Amino acid sequence: MPLDKSVLERNFPEFDFRVERGKIREYALVLGLNDPVHTDLEAARAAGFEDLLAPPTFVRQFWHENPENDPMPHLGYDPKRRLHGEQEFEYHKPLVAGMNLKGRNAIVSTREKEGRRGGMMTFVVIETRFVDETGELVQVARRTLIETAAPPKEA
Amino acid sequence: MSYKQGDALPELVKAPVSRMQLVKYAGASGDFNPIHYDDEAARAGGLEGVIAHGMLSMGFLGQFVETTFGAGSYKRLEVRFQGMVKLGEVITCRGVVTDIAQENGREYAACEIEAVDSDGRVVTAGRAQAWLD
Repeated sequence: MPLDKSVLERNFPEFDFRVERGKIREYALVLGLNDPVHTDLEAARAAGFEDLLAPPTFVRQFWHENPENDPMPHLGYDPKRRLHGEQEFEYHKPLVAGMNLKGRNAIVSTREKEGRRGGMMTFVVIETRFVDETGELVQVARRTLIETAAPPKEA
Repeated sequence: MSYKQGDALPELVKAPVSRMQLVKYAGASGDFNPIHYDDEAARAGGLEGVIAHGMLSMGFLGQFVETTFGAGSYKRLEVRFQGMVKLGEVITCRGVVTDIAQENGREYAACEIEAVDSDGRVVTAGRAQAWLD
């Protein structure tokens, strides 16, 4: 299935969420992050953070919480051929528990390329910008979603 | 510890990836794609069995940057998911400093980083930048 181009015309609404201590602890523990700044408030404060520090890939959970806010389910990709190809994070200020963030998703680039065994591969980059209550940029996430080429039809 | 261009970073060796970890990561991250915990769903998708979330190995690389340069030092992290991680794999994170540079008067290290599986095959690789102050 080629990219559903109507998704490029669409605006995706801003969403908001509060960064919670329990969710930070859960995320840090499953990855085995052993720096106590993620799990122990005193350690976080001693290290100069206002509250528990979110692990570097923590915002991943907020990309597609709600399908209305996220282009991903609207790309028209075949779920069996969809890959998360690349991921990028830019960090602008520390993300700590108690912050109220706003996020917004937007498609920032698309391209197509011929697959090695024929058919077209599609690449879409979705950028998510997260700002705090004062509107200051906290993090930017960019995910590259690939639809691999359809296998050639059997004769 | 101070780093210079060409320095290899101390490796981070993770515990073997377990199904319980993938179930927990699904809950922590909100990615409930069943190919990450249900063998039948994985086989229906053409895989031999469940595979780890790509973001799990990126999370390990995030930890690697943190253990090397300190929590909160991260400036940028970017990776390409190159290979699948099966259950029981021991992931090792390694990297090298490619540059020491400045931005707005602050010094940072630029590194090439990669996560490799038990056979030394690169599963996730990319670049990281971390503040040095």
